Amino acid sequence: MVQGWYKGGSMEKYFLLGIGIVFVVIVFIFNSLIVRRNQLKNAYATVDALLKKRYDLIPNIVETVKGYAKHESELFTGIAKLRSEALSGQKTGKNKEELDREIGGALKSILAVSENYPELKANGNFLHLQKTLNEVEEQISAGRRAYNASVNDYNNAVMMFPTNIFAKLLGFKPGDYYTVTAGERENVNTGELFKK
Amino acid sequence: MKTTEDLKKFYREKLYIALLPLERQRKKIVKVLAITGAVITFIVLGVTILTGGFSRSPNLFAFILSLILGLAAFAGAYFIVAKGYKNQFKSEIIEKLVKFFDEGLYYNPELRITSENYMASRIFPKEPDRYNGEDYISGKLGKTAVEFSEVHSEYKTESTDSKGRRHTNWHTIFKGIFFIADFNKAFEGVTVVLPDTAEKLFGFFGTMLQGYNFTRGKLIKLEDPEFEKEFAVYGDNQVTARYILSTSLMEKIMEFKKKTGRPLHMSFVNSRLYIAVSYEKNLFEPKLFATLLDFELVLEYYKDLALFTGIVEDLSLNDRLWSKD
Repeated sequence: MVQGWYKGGSMEKYFLLGIGIVFVVIVFIFNSLIVRRNQLKNAYATVDALLKKRYDLIPNIVETVKGYAKHESELFTGIAKLRSEALSGQKTGKNKEELDREIGGALKSILAVSENYPELKANGNFLHLQKTLNEVEEQISAGRRAYNASVNDYNNAVMMFPTNIFAKLLGFKPGDYYTVTAGERENVNTGELFKK
Repeated sequence: MKTTEDLKKFYREKLYIALLPLERQRKKIVKVLAITGAVITFIVLGVTILTGGFSRSPNLFAFILSLILGLAAFAGAYFIVAKGYKNQFKSEIIEKLVKFFDEGLYYNPELRITSENYMASRIFPKEPDRYNGEDYISGKLGKTAVEFSEVHSEYKTESTDSKGRRHTNWHTIFKGIFFIADFNKAFEGVTVVLPDTAEKLFGFFGTMLQGYNFTRGKLIKLEDPEFEKEFAVYGDNQVTARYILSTSLMEKIMEFKKKTGRPLHMSFVNSRLYIAVSYEKNLFEPKLFATLLDFELVLEYYKDLALFTGIVEDLSLNDRLWSKD
């Protein structure tokens, strides 16, 4: 009798231990998913902050270039419109990505246009802005690469066994990578424009 | 960039003349060493004979003692004559070669990268117990300030053997050239690029292991698969690390790695670039038992130097497209 009771006790102990281990594993998997999703959100916010830096640069660049290149008013109004649209924060997701792409393109064309004005190219303030813009663009590209790396990390967890089961239960969906369009790929480095 | 033709011209016009007296000195030293060696051998033999070394009951103690003393005397003589020769060679020849690269470069055979700078790089976190180095070169190449020298850092372990005697063992942390340059982008924080041993040995599992290297900060996974295979990158900020390691810089680092053909450690700390290239041999040393008047020899010194002064061009450190001047 007594022995039997002991046996039952040890069975129970193993059972409890098993449940404990399963619980720890579940917590671990759950937390790792949350960590990855937060990382993804964080990386996205970083890119956003860097894009904000770019928006802030636009008025300065426009002001400086305007003084020398009065005939390009179309470009200036165009980029100002895009900027206010971006700052209003109405667009999200793919639309916002598209908008930021357009802003990047518009900035590039302003700088390309400035090539035609030698006086502008010699302006110290303009040169400084150009370098700052190069820096911001490089940081944005770094931010996007970091974002893509976290998407990759997160998607691996969402799609791979056994974490995918929990991802499904939590309703986590694979994230989208930031993609470079064919047009952008052609002249990614704005810096190339200014090399003499 | 100077070409081999430039170097040949420089060798004919300037170096050769400077090498002649050194070559004479070298021959004299070899002669002195040969005579010293002969005299010492003679004395050792004499002592051995006098103490009955060749009799039926040889006095082993006297023989060994005289042999040890003889060898020590020879080593002492070698050290004294060779040291002056070495110093003269460095201040005459290596200095001229360094100036040949760029007049503005400074060379001091006795100095080294400070241990503070060595530690600031965060490449080798272990504090060394012994820190040596020589052949310090510094200056500005274009817009980029650089400095480098030979460095040998070691730590010691102490053990006690079965008889209770204490032994001190020295282990090398790093031996080779330590290079520091002003980086062309402004940034804060630490990014370390290390040879990737774990991934090479264990593949995917190795990558997982790297993820748990807490002393180094976060593992940063970059997009370039070739680069990832060679290096493991750790840093305190994912975006800064990628801002520094642009796709083009990763390619350039791979090229540089191929050029050196040696283990390469790098770090980027607060707008500065640190590179540690491991070398077994002692660089920029004169030869004693072979002629100095050999262009191939000069070419070798030149190549060792060019590898490091060339970093500025190899990694495009003079491209100042960003706000840092």
